[in-house]
Amino acid sequence: MKNFKQTEGLRIIENWMAEKGHAPFTFQMQTWQRYADGYSGMVIAPTGFGKTFSVFLAVVIDYLNRPEHYGKGLKLLWISPLRSLAKDLAKAMTEAVDEIGLDWSVEVRNGDTPTATRRKQERLTPDVLLTTPETMHLLFSQKNNSRWFKNLECVAIDEWHELLGNKRGVLTELAINQLRHYSPELQIWGITATIGNLEEANSVLLPYSDLKITTVKAKEEKKLDIISVLPDEIEILPWAGHLGAKMADKILPIIEANTTTLIFTNTRGQAELWYQLLLDAQPDLAGLLAIHHGSIDKKLRNWIEDNIASGYLKAVVCTSSLDLGVDFKPVDCVIQIGSVKGIARFMQRAGRSGHSPYERSKIYFVPTHSLELVEVSALKTAIKEKQIESREPVVLTFDVLVQFMVTLAVGQGFEEKELCQRIQQTHAFSYLSREDWLWCLQFITKGGKTLNSYEEFHKVILDDDGKYKVKSRRISMLHRMNIGAIVSEVNLKVKYFSGGYIGMVEEFFISKLKPGDSFILAGRVLELVQIKDMTVLVRRSKAKKAVSPSWLGGRLPLTSHLSHYLRLKLSDALEPGRLEKELRFLNPLVSRQDAYSHIPKADEFLVELIETKDGHHLFMYPFEGRLVHEVFSALIAYRISKLKALTFTIAMNDYGFELLSDQSIPINESNIEEILKKENLMDDVIASINASEMASRKFRDIAVIAGLVVQSQPGARKTSKSLQSSSGLIFRVLEDYESDNLLLRQAYTEVFNQQLEEARLQQAFERISKSKIIVKRAKSFTPLSFPLKVDSLRGTMSNESLDKRIQRIKAQAFKMD
Amino acid sequence: MKIITENITIKNEVLTLTNHRAIYWQRENALILSDIHIGKTAHFRRHGIPMPDDILQKDLERLKNLILYFNTEILLIVGDLFHAESNTDMKTFKEWLTQFIDLKLILIKGNHDKLSTQLLSHFNIHEKAELVLEPFTFIHEPPKSSTKVFFISGHTHPGVLIKGKGRQKLKLPCYQISSNQLVLPAFSLFTGLNIHAQPENATCYAFTDESIFKF
Repeated sequence: MKNFKQTEGLRIIENWMAEKGHAPFTFQMQTWQRYADGYSGMVIAPTGFGKTFSVFLAVVIDYLNRPEHYGKGLKLLWISPLRSLAKDLAKAMTEAVDEIGLDWSVEVRNGDTPTATRRKQERLTPDVLLTTPETMHLLFSQKNNSRWFKNLECVAIDEWHELLGNKRGVLTELAINQLRHYSPELQIWGITATIGNLEEANSVLLPYSDLKITTVKAKEEKKLDIISVLPDEIEILPWAGHLGAKMADKILPIIEANTTTLIFTNTRGQAELWYQLLLDAQPDLAGLLAIHHGSIDKKLRNWIEDNIASGYLKAVVCTSSLDLGVDFKPVDCVIQIGSVKGIARFMQRAGRSGHSPYERSKIYFVPTHSLELVEVSALKTAIKEKQIESREPVVLTFDVLVQFMVTLAVGQGFEEKELCQRIQQTHAFSYLSREDWLWCLQFITKGGKTLNSYEEFHKVILDDDGKYKVKSRRISMLHRMNIGAIVSEVNLKVKYFSGGYIGMVEEFFISKLKPGDSFILAGRVLELVQIKDMTVLVRRSKAKKAVSPSWLGGRLPLTSHLSHYLRLKLSDALEPGRLEKELRFLNPLVSRQDAYSHIPKADEFLVELIETKDGHHLFMYPFEGRLVHEVFSALIAYRISKLKALTFTIAMNDYGFELLSDQSIPINESNIEEILKKENLMDDVIASINASEMASRKFRDIAVIAGLVVQSQPGARKTSKSLQSSSGLIFRVLEDYESDNLLLRQAYTEVFNQQLEEARLQQAFERISKSKIIVKRAKSFTPLSFPLKVDSLRGTMSNESLDKRIQRIKAQAFKMD
Repeated sequence: MKIITENITIKNEVLTLTNHRAIYWQRENALILSDIHIGKTAHFRRHGIPMPDDILQKDLERLKNLILYFNTEILLIVGDLFHAESNTDMKTFKEWLTQFIDLKLILIKGNHDKLSTQLLSHFNIHEKAELVLEPFTFIHEPPKSSTKVFFISGHTHPGVLIKGKGRQKLKLPCYQISSNQLVLPAFSLFTGLNIHAQPENATCYAFTDESIFKF
């Protein structure tokens, strides 16, 4: 459209904005123009600058300019990763269309939508529908679903960066593909924050060669103030968690000085802990301080969110549960407790404060041990240099593919050849071979390769019209319950015995408690009464001491970007720049490390051999994050065991790892290079780890997504008890009878890509091979080694056979559950 | 298949524990086992979860080896012989049974055994709610209140979690034996392990392919 600037539609929107005292940002104008010109694309903009309206109003303007082009029913589909976003977005959009004078209806559909509303939406589709990737797939599993999408003009993917790096991203890719099938002229727009691989993000979202594709980038930038909260005195031997109580007194004045503060912790357990600490330190905060995390009752969370928005709450202790979501206008300050492990995540959290355009975001960093101050310094530099992590797209997830095929078979059915070609167009399955496709087809129709052993299996059948369909109502029902790619731990509802829902805990935590034991949830001390039908019944407890639930998730490793800056900062730490407040503060610690051992420069790799009465310790500091260190340490233990048979106790954190043995470790300057060589790396890794056990753990999610395990819903009676089995059992069965099963293969691939982070491990060894290796000996712990020493995550490494292992464990003081 | 055995004495009776999830009682020349769950894999397949039927084949193969090894006359199943509805696995089982014409089958009814008595008679199975063979009472799920009777039961699929230094963990199937009861491990390999249910003061006999361990 050549004269877009002169169109009636744009004039109406500009007038409407002017009435509110706004003018469009350049990137909004660009998006509107490109949309009118028939482009698909991606908008990159920071939060708070109206990125929602860039895409939403583009469709509105286009409609105003040529209403005759639009059919009845659904015009714009808005897919976002978060349910909580949808409600407020819908409100803002409804307000806009009302004020503009359009007769559009804007509605939300997701897991929270009541059945009656859903049925109504199916009869009378709204003009704009806000939904999630999972709900999209649920829609595809309905009979005759294509009729809802035939007049669809645009699909918008909000917060695309949040979906890109995981299997929900694959669900989104498949959903877009299906929508294009129903409405070939569809325009596709993604909205994303800045990430390291924007070009890739674009090509994953828009792999279709027939589309006109563009990228719109906002010039506006969020200004960010990072303030570290320094403890009163420096501890020369720092250790994790130790600073806690002392720092509570430093946090209170910050809360006092700001309107509303969000206090981010890394785990739900920590959130519970800090909530108590702050209340103990200042009891009159009661009622003004709230706690918010994923295991707290949805109603309570909604109440908290409403009261942040209204400005009633003074502060909220939270986890990543508030990373994303609605903009809270009153929030003018964010406090981060403990390491954030990544640059993007840190910026995202900081961005939760100062939400209006041009307002500054303010984030305080509270270290839980003094070494974390190096991290702040690293974060500041990384942000200044605009180095942000990439989100790597996932590919060839056969579990998601199999699920999608059954979804379509439950819905309208599919033609095999046509669907195969379409699937191969997506980024995730561009390398899908015909053979693998046929395997997937075999899997959902016959069960597996050895046909005669799968009698009675008729999940998906080839119907007379040449389409693959699901005929059984029960299988359809089981499948619909299972749609999605988020596999959570088995969670149990927690309820008062007298009624009233409090939240959720993981089964593995509660299974360790006995009736009468106390635990903390949502800031309340609760006594376990009994467990019944996936529900934990509790009463208020007067106990002074109680355990905080530990949740398995949430332990993220340090990203490689951040660890790169961390190494640089540490090497500078001996002579900090004038403005490096954190490094100057750390100077006594760093000097001691240098005096007793060494501070590794950017081109050096430090190895410490320390002898204490506990035994012989070997410390290495690759700064590559916990996951890589897990593998790294097992590998080093393996290579050493080839020199001398030793059993090690292994400990690790994000900075390095420790091998502890009761005998001397045969390492010195002459053989250390051999131990750290990059040759034979992966062969030695495979020999040193139990890949089958790791794959079995990865298989848990895969089995659920692919429908091999029937998940029971929290609070629900176990309706499908006779179908219960564990993924571990199925993993064993498949390893025994179907070792070429693609889902098994995927489990191993995931181990290598995610667990072992093969690429990152290889880069680390590449870097080490070019570094100067420094071996230092000491008689007591150094500032770098001490936090590791007290770290609790411990594993052992030994190469004994199963039976020998049991004999030995028996000989030790063993403990049984 | 390597059969490892260990004799234990309860109430002056010698019972032979095997590392294959079954006990042999010489006095009665009976092989005692529980929770075979025949039909489980077919039940899964019918509901759209592909499970190969080799699992059943392997269970039956193991059972055959045990019967031949002890030359047993009686197969005493302490409940949950069948998992759910009648399906193709039953046919496999019936055919398999024809090789042991003289074998007497006794089933103590379990919570999964919902097939009609009439159907069971096709298999020539004698079904009972419980069976007393002094000094033991065989029952699928023993009552909670302790009595003077010694129960031999199944149902819980007992397992033991062994923890060593440095977070080493292993889960193994086991026999649980206390002063008034013995709990059998589930015979089928397609069953999970329950490490929580345990009688008071129970001794566990866990086993692997190679050995039996007492805890």
